[in-house]
Amino acid sequence: MSTTRVEHTRRSMAKRDPVLFGTLVAIWIIFAIFIFLPIIKLLSTTFVVDGSISFTNLIKIMGKSYNIRALYNSLILATAVAVTGTVLGYIFALAVTRTSLPPFFKGLLAAVTILPLISPPFTSSISLTLALGPNGMLLRALGITDFSIYGFIGTWISETLTYFPVAFMVITAVLNTMSANLDDAALSLGSSRWRMFRTITIPLSLPGIGNSILLLFGASLADFATPLILGGHTFPVLPTEAYLMITGMFDLKGGASLSFLLLIPALLVFILQRVLIGKKSYVSVTGKNGAKSAFGKLPHLLTAIISAVCAITVVFILYLYAIILWGSLVKVWGVNNTVTLQHFKYVFAHGKKAITDTLLIAVLSTVIGSILGVVIGYIAQRKNFFGKRFFEFGSMLNYALPGTVVGIAYIIAFNQKPILLTGTLAILVAAYVFRYYATGIRSVIASLAQIDPALEEASLSLGANSLRTFTHVTIPLIIPAVLAGMRYLFIHSMTAISATIFLVSVRWTLLTTRILESMTELQFSQASAFSIVLIIIVFVVDAIMLALMKWSTRKFTQQESISYEKIGA
Amino acid sequence: MKKLALDLNDVTKTFQKDDGYITAVDKVSLQVEEGEMVTFLGPSGCGKTTTLRMVAGFELPTSGSITIRGSDMTNTPVNKRKIGFVFQNYALFPHMSVYNNVAYGLKARGEKDKDIRDKVRDALVMVGLVDTENRYPSQLSGGEQQRVALARVIVMEPNLLLMDEPLSNLDAKLRIHMRTEIRRLQKKLGITCLYVTHDQSEALSMADRIVVMNKGKVEQVGTAFEIYSNPQSLFVADFIGQANIIHLKVTSLAEDVIGVQTHNGGVFSARCIIPDHIDSSVESYEVGKDAALVIRPESLTVIPYKGGEETFNAVVSSSVFVGSHVEYELTLPNNEMIKAFIPYTNNMQIFKEEEQVSFMIDPVNALFLPRKKNKP
Ligand SMILES: Nc1ncnc2c1ncn2[C@@H]1O[C@H](COP(=O)(O)OP(=O)(O)O)[C@@H](O)[C@H]1O
Ligand SMILES: [Mg+2]
Repeated sequence: MSTTRVEHTRRSMAKRDPVLFGTLVAIWIIFAIFIFLPIIKLLSTTFVVDGSISFTNLIKIMGKSYNIRALYNSLILATAVAVTGTVLGYIFALAVTRTSLPPFFKGLLAAVTILPLISPPFTSSISLTLALGPNGMLLRALGITDFSIYGFIGTWISETLTYFPVAFMVITAVLNTMSANLDDAALSLGSSRWRMFRTITIPLSLPGIGNSILLLFGASLADFATPLILGGHTFPVLPTEAYLMITGMFDLKGGASLSFLLLIPALLVFILQRVLIGKKSYVSVTGKNGAKSAFGKLPHLLTAIISAVCAITVVFILYLYAIILWGSLVKVWGVNNTVTLQHFKYVFAHGKKAITDTLLIAVLSTVIGSILGVVIGYIAQRKNFFGKRFFEFGSMLNYALPGTVVGIAYIIAFNQKPILLTGTLAILVAAYVFRYYATGIRSVIASLAQIDPALEEASLSLGANSLRTFTHVTIPLIIPAVLAGMRYLFIHSMTAISATIFLVSVRWTLLTTRILESMTELQFSQASAFSIVLIIIVFVVDAIMLALMKWSTRKFTQQESISYEKIGA
Repeated sequence: MKKLALDLNDVTKTFQKDDGYITAVDKVSLQVEEGEMVTFLGPSGCGKTTTLRMVAGFELPTSGSITIRGSDMTNTPVNKRKIGFVFQNYALFPHMSVYNNVAYGLKARGEKDKDIRDKVRDALVMVGLVDTENRYPSQLSGGEQQRVALARVIVMEPNLLLMDEPLSNLDAKLRIHMRTEIRRLQKKLGITCLYVTHDQSEALSMADRIVVMNKGKVEQVGTAFEIYSNPQSLFVADFIGQANIIHLKVTSLAEDVIGVQTHNGGVFSARCIIPDHIDSSVESYEVGKDAALVIRPESLTVIPYKGGEETFNAVVSSSVFVGSHVEYELTLPNNEMIKAFIPYTNNMQIFKEEEQVSFMIDPVNALFLPRKKNKP
C-alpha cells in the first residue's frame, strides 16, 4: 500500500512488525559493511591526508599528463562506443521489428546478440586479437601487414560488439511497445516511407535511444578487460591505469584517486539515467515480441542497408566465435595449425582449480544474491519504513559504480583488521553479490507490483502467518522473476572481472583471470580453450535456468511466459 | 446476556494523503448479532471497504475498538481473528488447484489430511462445485471462481464472513442468482456475515439489516423496510429507492408533526424526523422557513387540475407509459421537478405533456426532513 498509516508513524516499528524490523537491521548492517564502508574508505583514502581533508592526492594525480590522457581517453571511448553500439543496436532492432525479413533470419539475429551477453566481456577482444592481432588470421588472409589492433580502434570495435546487444534489447522493447498502427496511419495519410521513418519511428524511439546511449556509455566507461587486452600502452584508460597503479606500483592512494575520477562520470550517468528513464531500466520481455512485427514498412533502400549491416555483423560475430574455437584447437596460433586437444587437456589439468573455484563462487553468489534480492525487493515493494529511499539507493550503489572502483574500494576496506577479508572466498562472493543482485531486486519489484496484495491478504485471513504466506503464496508467484535475477547473477559471477581482478589470490582464483594471464603471456590457444570451457559452462547453466524460468512461469502463475530480463552490462 | 458476534465502537480510520489527512471511516458504531446478515450500502468512497478491512484486521483503526464474540480484537493480527474474507476479485491463488485453494487454510491450521479431504469435498458440494478439484482458477468461469472463493472461507467455519462486493464482477443474471445462493448458504450455516455493496437491490434483498454509509459516517441502520419507509436523512431518502424532495414553507410546528401550506392555501401536515444528535450539517425547522418533504413517486396521486385546498399544483413535463405504471415528470410552481409513478388500471386517465394537473399526498407516506445547510 502506498500510503503510510498515520498512527504507525507514531508507534515504534520494532513492536509493530518485529520481523521487518529485525530484517531491516540485518540488511542495514550488511549494507554498512559491504557497500558504505568500502566507498567511504575509498573517499577517505583519496581525500584524507594526515587526518584532514585535502585535495593533494587528486591534484597529484591530475598533474600527470598520463592520467589526464586516461580520463580523456575513457570519455572519448565511452562516447564512441555509446554512439556506434546504439546505432548498431538500432539497426538490429529495426530489422527485427520493422522489416519483413524471414523469421529464420530474425531468429538468427536475436540468437547471435545473446552470445556477447553471456560471454565473458573480453571474449571479443580475444577473438579480435586472434583475427587482427599479431599473426592475425584475417590480416594474413587479406594480406595486410602494417596494422595494429592495439589502441583506440581495437578497443572501440571490441566494446561495440560486446555492448550493442544491450542497445538492441532496450530499443527493441521500445519499438515493440510502439503501436504499429501509428506507422499504418502515417502511411495511409499519404506519407512517404522515408517521411514516416523520420517523423514517426525515430522520434518515438528516442527514449530507447537515450537510454541505450547512457547504458553503453556507462558500460564502456567501466569496462576493464577490453582495454587491458586491446588498449596497449598507446591507449590508457582510467580503469586500466588504476589497476596498474595498484597491482604494479602498490599505490593505493593513487588508485583510489583515479577511481574517484572514474566514479564521477559513472554516477552522473547513473543518476541521469534514473531521472530520464525513471525506474524502467529493465524491460519486460514478453514472448509475443516476434509475432507483432508486421510488414516491411521501412523505405526499401533502408531495408536493404539494414539487412546488409545485420548480415555482415552476424557473420563477423560468428566468425569471431569460430576463431576462438579454432584457436583452442591448433597447436600454436599462427605458427603451427596442427589440430590438437592439448590445450583442453591443459585446462582440465592445470585449470581445474580455477574451474571449480569459479563455479563455487558463482553458485554461492547466485544463491546468496538471489535470497538478498528477494528480501530487499519484497521490502522495497511491499513495506513502508523510515529511510526507504536511501535504502533503495544503497542497495543499488555497487551496481551503479564501475567494477574497478568497487574492486579498489574493497581491497582498501578489507585488507586490514577488523574486517580482514582479502584473499578469502567471502570477499569475492560479496563483490559479485552486491554488484549483480540488482537485476534480481528489480525484477522482484516489478513482479510483485503485478501481484494483487489481496492474494497475500487472503492467505493471512485464512489463518496462515506471514512467513507461511511468504513461502506459499508470494515466493511461488515471483519465482520467474527470481530465476531471471539468478540468471543474471550467475552469468556475471562467472564472467565479470573488473572488480574481482583486485580480489583474487593464490587461494581463490577465477577462470577469467586465467584467461587474462594467458592473453598477457601471449598464450592465445590456452586463452581460447579457457574461454571455450567458460562459455560452454555458462551457456549450459543459463539454458537450464531459462528453461526452468519458462516452466515455472507456466506452472506457478498459470500464464503464458512473462519474464523480466535485465538488460545492460 | 448473549454475546454479540461483532461490536464496533466509535471506529475511526484516518489515512495520510499526499497533502493532509482523510478520514475514511468516522466514528462508526455497530452491534451485530450471531447469525445476522448485515449489508453495508453507500456510494463509492464512503468507507465501506475500509470498515470491512478493519473488521478483518487488514487495517488497524486509528481509534475506537473492535470486539468479536466478546474478545477485543482491535489490534489482533488478521490470521488470529478467524474471519473469512471474500474479495471483490476473489483473490484465488493462481498457482494452486481448486482443491489446494480450498484446503489452504486447513493446511495452515495443521489439520489431518483425511479431515482436510472430507471438509474440502463438503465445502465444494455445498457451493455447488463438483469435479473441479484438479482445475486451476484460470480454467474456471467467473461464477465458478466466486464459488471457490466462498468454499475457501466457509470451510474454515469462521466467526465472521466478510464480503467486499463479491458479485460485482459477474454478469447481471448470475449476480441475482448468486444473491439467493449466498443468502441460503449463510442461513444454512448460521454464519454471521458482513456484506459490502453499492448495489441497493442487492443490499435490500439479502440483508437482515442494512447499514447505510455516507462520507465515512453511518447514516442509518435498519431493516430494508425501515430504511425505505422511514429514512432518517435526506441522503438515505434519496439514496434508497427514488424519492421526491419538495421544499415547502412551514406554517406550524408541533412535536413531531409539521404543517405546511399547500399550493391552494390549505394546510398539509405530516410527520417529521428530528435529528437525534446535534447535526451541524442540517438546519432546524422554523416557521416561515422551508422544510423538505420526502415522498416516493409511487405514493403520489395525480388528478385533473382542481383548486381544492388539499391539493398541490403542477404541469406535466413528461408522461411515459411503461406497462405496469405511468411515469410522470411534474414541474412545480417553484420549478422543482418531481416524479410520480401511477399504477396501471384499466380505466385510468393518462395526462399529456403541458397539461395542468393537481396531485395529492397521502400523509402516511410522507415525511419531513431537516434541510441541509447551504454551504457558505
Ligand atoms: N490505503 C488507503 N490510503 C489512503 N486512502 C485510502 C486508502 N484506502 C481507502 N482510502 C480512502 O478512503 C476513502 C474510503 O475508501 P473505501 O473504504 O475504499 O470506500 P468504498 O469501499 O466505500 O468505496 C476513499 O476516499 C479512499 O480514497
Ligand atoms: Mg470498496
